[in-house]
Amino acid sequence: MDLLGIALAIFGAAMAAGWAGAGSAIGVGIAGESGAGVMTEDPGKFGLVLLLQALPGTQGIYGLLIAFFAILKVGLLGGGAEVTVNVWQGLAIFFACLPIAVGGYYSAIAQGKTSAASIQMIAKRPEETGKAVILPAMVETYAVLSLLMSIILLNGIKL
Amino acid sequence: MAVAKISKAEFYIHKSEADKVLSILQNTGSYEIIPFNSEEEPEGQVIAHPDLSRVDFLLGETRYLLRFLEPHYDDPVSGLARAMGDKDELSLKEAAELDKKTDVPAAANEVRKLERRLMEIRSEVAQIDTSVSLLEPLEEFPYPLELLSSGTERVRGVLGTLPISQVENWSREAEALLGKRSEVYIAPVGEREKYRFVALFFEAPLSGDVAEFNGAFTFNRVEIPASLRSGVLQELALLEDRRAALVAEEQDVLAGVEEAAEKWVAVARKLNDYFSVLRDRYEALSRGGATEKVVMLRGWIPDSNLPEIKKSLAAFDSSIELVVTEPEPEDDVPSLMANSAWCLPFENLTRLYGVPGYGELDPTPLMAPFFFVFFGMCLGDAGYGLIMIGLFTWFLKKYRKMPRGFSEFFKLFVLSGVSTVIVGALTGSWFGDLVDAFGIFSFLRPLKNLPVILNPMDDPMTFLGLSLALGVFQLLFGLGVSFFDALRRKDYMAAYADSGAWIVFLTGLLVWGIALAGFMSSGWEAFGKTVAIFGAIVLLATQGREKTGFISRAISGVLSLYGATSYLGDVLSYSRLLALGLATSAVGVIINMLAGLAGDIPFVGWALALLLIVGGHVFSIAVNVLGAFVHSLRLQYVEFFSKFYSGGGRAFSPLAYNTSYVSIKKEPVE
Repeated sequence: MDLLGIALAIFGAAMAAGWAGAGSAIGVGIAGESGAGVMTEDPGKFGLVLLLQALPGTQGIYGLLIAFFAILKVGLLGGGAEVTVNVWQGLAIFFACLPIAVGGYYSAIAQGKTSAASIQMIAKRPEETGKAVILPAMVETYAVLSLLMSIILLNGIKL
Repeated sequence: MAVAKISKAEFYIHKSEADKVLSILQNTGSYEIIPFNSEEEPEGQVIAHPDLSRVDFLLGETRYLLRFLEPHYDDPVSGLARAMGDKDELSLKEAAELDKKTDVPAAANEVRKLERRLMEIRSEVAQIDTSVSLLEPLEEFPYPLELLSSGTERVRGVLGTLPISQVENWSREAEALLGKRSEVYIAPVGEREKYRFVALFFEAPLSGDVAEFNGAFTFNRVEIPASLRSGVLQELALLEDRRAALVAEEQDVLAGVEEAAEKWVAVARKLNDYFSVLRDRYEALSRGGATEKVVMLRGWIPDSNLPEIKKSLAAFDSSIELVVTEPEPEDDVPSLMANSAWCLPFENLTRLYGVPGYGELDPTPLMAPFFFVFFGMCLGDAGYGLIMIGLFTWFLKKYRKMPRGFSEFFKLFVLSGVSTVIVGALTGSWFGDLVDAFGIFSFLRPLKNLPVILNPMDDPMTFLGLSLALGVFQLLFGLGVSFFDALRRKDYMAAYADSGAWIVFLTGLLVWGIALAGFMSSGWEAFGKTVAIFGAIVLLATQGREKTGFISRAISGVLSLYGATSYLGDVLSYSRLLALGLATSAVGVIINMLAGLAGDIPFVGWALALLLIVGGHVFSIAVNVLGAFVHSLRLQYVEFFSKFYSGGGRAFSPLAYNTSYVSIKKEPVE
């Protein structure tokens, strides 16, 4: 039974890293396509475009973070003491990973679209960079909130 | 802390002195000219400077020179360094002399000749390449090409491609139809697989029959250029020779271009900037109004620059009339932020959002401390902070002549680094847990632990509480600013009924909530409740006061109380301070852990560990600095500015020296 608990925790970690990472990949991809289009006109905008393209990449990092937290908690990563995880605890860890898995996936895609639009915006009005960066950051708020909830939940699970 | 005071200044200048006066105004760089509206002032006639068309033409020529030559120029100063202010200095006098002794159009014509020759060579080479690719499959063609290209007096030929499946049929039928009066050639290869080159020779009068005959097959005629006359191999050799000669010539021309670039780029850059400075000045003149003898200029001058302008124009006292007046309410006054040195680096952030309108409040000094603290909390790693300080200080030292916008941005990052070091030291985060993770740093542990007051990894809830408390404080502060701003504008209703009532209502709710949660004695509970209800009553009574009719007013009053939920959302938004701070430390911890695991690999482990630590932390700094910057900025823009600031101003853009390659020396005012 102990093994099932650990397996559930790993399932959670895998969801967090996998889905949030997939979302970021899609988001960064969408923004990158738009950026490449803008740079065919003006290669000098590389710096700004890269900045905007990088914005939807954070969800992947948040997901990775939660995955590490989860496997650290069940002692899968070197150095940690041997922990026994029963099925309910494993299930709890799995649920705690869900906010960043789901929130990360969808917010990264939405943020990628906003970034792509912002990249188009700086192509026409480079002086409005400040506003162009803030719009995708508005989307990221919800990824940050998901991350926060996952951290708080994981922190609260007693083993 | 404010927006600089600006006055409207009208100049009446004798025409003969207008250009000199404008050049002095351009030198001081603090006069923005308002275009004369000729419909309003029908007596104003547009004046064109006599030198304008010459400068326009020369500007076009220098731009052409730079556009064509710059890619061939081995620039001693990199583009980055130039953007950072590494520009040659040039005085207008030197530039004028350079202009006098340089024949720009001649240089441009010289370069144009080179460009044209280069284009001719390239198009001829392309033609040769087409011919070669056409002839190569026909290497074994036994007759002179003349037969195919122009034909002799009696014999004509056509060349074409046929699908392999039709070749046999075609040659049989050709012989059957045309008999002895024709000959067929079939090449061993084709243009594409499954096709063959075929040729048919025939007596000249049969042309019509042949065309009809070929039309029955999938025969694609291939034209041979008339210039190809002898045997294929011979022509190929000729083409090869010609091509080699052209390529050699191209090298020569390119060498010429590089020489021209060496000779002209530096000069053209100086002149290009000089001409654009002149052009700006002449355009400014044409924006003024004029009568027969007098030029009128109308524009804006910051009050602080008035004495300097008056002083530098003292020599023209007899031919100038200067009238300075206060801006009128309907004027579109530009705005110029004037901040004290400590918050100058933060001015850029306000500018990114939008400069304040004239007479509006400048939010820079109000926002600066919050941004400073928030950035530190979002990044929150002392090691990363130290690297930021080091890197940006080094940049500031290396490029001392950096334009002000850049240097202020870099100073902003140095300040952000300082804040990060402070927060990192207080939370005990130095490159994640580098000091604790590796035994060799154990001697640093006591030092690291000394200033630690809170570890967010162990106690995230306290840190979350701190973040939200900062949020409450900033929001109430923003409402307070809005309150005093309304008082300043003498809009008492907005001050007391909007901002004031909200402050009272929210404070009441807050005290009530804290008391309910048991952090304050129950006496406070009743107090908070009373205050909140008082605030709510004021809001109910005053919100929607622009509406007519009692019912719609009452409804807007009740609905406005729901605004409280948006304040709740605003406060929760500050939880990102915790989340991003935690994310930075956690990424650092993970990097160190992976490095620790890699370190256990025999022999190469230490190298791998080092690689992971350096590469990992560099990556982590890049990602987290971006995140910390964007999110602490967002808290200012979305949560803080929305309470009191609209930022719909127009930036002051004076007539000045706007150059791309050199910096024009300012003449000192005597």
